[in-house]
Amino acid sequence: MRWTYIPVLAAALTGGAAIAYAAGFTLPAPPKIAFLYFMDKSDGGWTQAFEEARVKVEKSLDQQIVYVEGVPEVAGQITPAAERFIQRGYNVIIGTAFGYSDTFKELSNKYPKVAFLNASGTTNGPNLESFYGRTYESQYLCGMVAGAMSKTGKLGFVAAHPIGPVNWTINAYEMGALKMNPKATTTVVFTGAWNDPVKERAAAQAMADQGIDVIGQHVDTPTPQIVAQERGIYGTGHHRDFREFAPKATLCSSAWTWEKFLAPELKKVAAGNWEPSPYGAFPGIKEGGTDIACCNAAVPKEVVDKVMAERDAIIAGKKIFTGPIKDIAGTERVAANASLDDGGFWKMDWYIPGVITQK
Amino acid sequence: MNLGDFLINWIANAPVTAVPYALAALGLIVAERSGVLNLTAEGLMLIGALAGAGTSLLFVGHPAVALLAAMAAASVVSLLFAVLVVVLRINQVIAGLSVVFFCQGLTGLIGTLAKWQNKQLSGLAPLKIWPLSEIPIIGRIFFMQDPVVYLTILIFIAVNFLLFKTMLGLRIRAVGENPGAADAAGVSITLHRILAIVAGSSLIGLAGGYISVVSVKLWVTGMTGGRGWIAVALVVFARWAPWPALAGALLFGCIEALIPHVAAAGIQVPQYLMLMTPYLATIAVMIWVGAKDSRGSQEPGALGQPHVREERR
Repeated sequence: MRWTYIPVLAAALTGGAAIAYAAGFTLPAPPKIAFLYFMDKSDGGWTQAFEEARVKVEKSLDQQIVYVEGVPEVAGQITPAAERFIQRGYNVIIGTAFGYSDTFKELSNKYPKVAFLNASGTTNGPNLESFYGRTYESQYLCGMVAGAMSKTGKLGFVAAHPIGPVNWTINAYEMGALKMNPKATTTVVFTGAWNDPVKERAAAQAMADQGIDVIGQHVDTPTPQIVAQERGIYGTGHHRDFREFAPKATLCSSAWTWEKFLAPELKKVAAGNWEPSPYGAFPGIKEGGTDIACCNAAVPKEVVDKVMAERDAIIAGKKIFTGPIKDIAGTERVAANASLDDGGFWKMDWYIPGVITQK
Repeated sequence: MNLGDFLINWIANAPVTAVPYALAALGLIVAERSGVLNLTAEGLMLIGALAGAGTSLLFVGHPAVALLAAMAAASVVSLLFAVLVVVLRINQVIAGLSVVFFCQGLTGLIGTLAKWQNKQLSGLAPLKIWPLSEIPIIGRIFFMQDPVVYLTILIFIAVNFLLFKTMLGLRIRAVGENPGAADAAGVSITLHRILAIVAGSSLIGLAGGYISVVSVKLWVTGMTGGRGWIAVALVVFARWAPWPALAGALLFGCIEALIPHVAAAGIQVPQYLMLMTPYLATIAVMIWVGAKDSRGSQEPGALGQPHVREERR
């Protein structure tokens, strides 16, 4: 009877997993690492940042890391892509999309001897760790540059969706701008898409028409920067150093530094007793989330010095979201002398005064 | 910033948003008038966008060459669809969808291998029709658009003439309305359907090329973002007639251009309401079309049916 095996198998699986969790996770064989890329490796933004990190991590671990491109956020495509690697002996699988979260959770249960990591994911387990950067730190620094360079005091921000990780970059951008110009405002246009250059261009043009003269962004293509360059105004990039696309307009960028996080993390996996954080990894500038790629020659030295001093302070432990912080409606969101906890970041649905946005 | 400036900036940006919808919908109408249900717009627009961007990078400063390349590339790829549905008589829905998926993969692959992604294109300068462009308000809205906007109107006039005033147009419509009768009258079904698909696809390619070369000035994988599907809906909405399709495209262009302008002006409107307005408009117009009596519809009688000579139905 085949059915009789199931309880035994289930006990073995859960028991094995529980033991592994308690003692940390150890690979049964030397690590063989594979990436699943969400888009193609030259997308200019999110995925290309991983590709650039992969090459650097290869050097620092002195081993080959393979990848597959364009795996959409669909279980029917993620599972076969991951299983093909696993069947070929790969035992560290790194995903790169929010939409992989649930499938990676299932895969990590099915393959308890394989280590899974997933960028911008939401699921974790004994052999699964999601990771994302504290992008508000670098966007705060970019906001400082934007606030200092704006003549009108009107900044724009092209954003994708009003969710926690986007809302915190918007608030941090305005906080940085206010530090340099107490009257600065940040007007936000949500495009409703991560990767729609048509809508991004329309948003950036509408901003320029309104007299906005520095455009920040949390969308995937460099379109807002290119529009800024066409209109003779400035911008700040996201994902990578966007001076590549708009050398005159892009003042600085909030750029991923995944190699700084992944190389030591993968070394821990290789060494054994890897302990994935039950709430996911959340590295800042210091540990390798994002950092500011600074700065365009148009930015005066005293501004750069101020920004770099803040960067040093953040690395030394300064927390940007330290109270008292009130939202637009006047509700206190962070009490005086307290700072926002990680849960508060992920569920952020409020904006600070000075942010101009639709509801 | 006063209301007048706001309205001018908004309306002046509407044609750029409307042109891809208008051209793609017109291309689909040409093919569907010959009785071929054409769902390939999203894929062929991507082909046009990629070919236009690539050509624009290779021949810098010649946007016209890039747009012609976009038209040619989409026509060539549409031959595949034409062979599938007209010669091999494969189900037109399935063939159309497979062509879209094929084009999505192919354009992503070529764009990556050729390293065309995110490279800025030279674009197409707006055409100032002097002295009309100096008229306040009207000049900015009507006489300072890019040349393709004006070309689109000419294309609509030409296609309308071709479809409804020439023998060729009559034959294409006859093939779509009653292929049995057309066949009996000696009109080649295969030839006219392939011709309609390829000619229509060149307009769909132009729509895609316009997005990458003129509007965004950039190639990004999957950049059409579902606009081909909106064109498919526009055809139904316009009941297979060219001028209503142009009106529908302008309506969508106005709505899509309004969304960022309202947000950038800091007007407090719930943004999810704004983002759903194009779809609300679609539903509203569909209800209006459905409620009107259906005699006005010019839906081709043999739409979606492969023609087999002397087959009993």
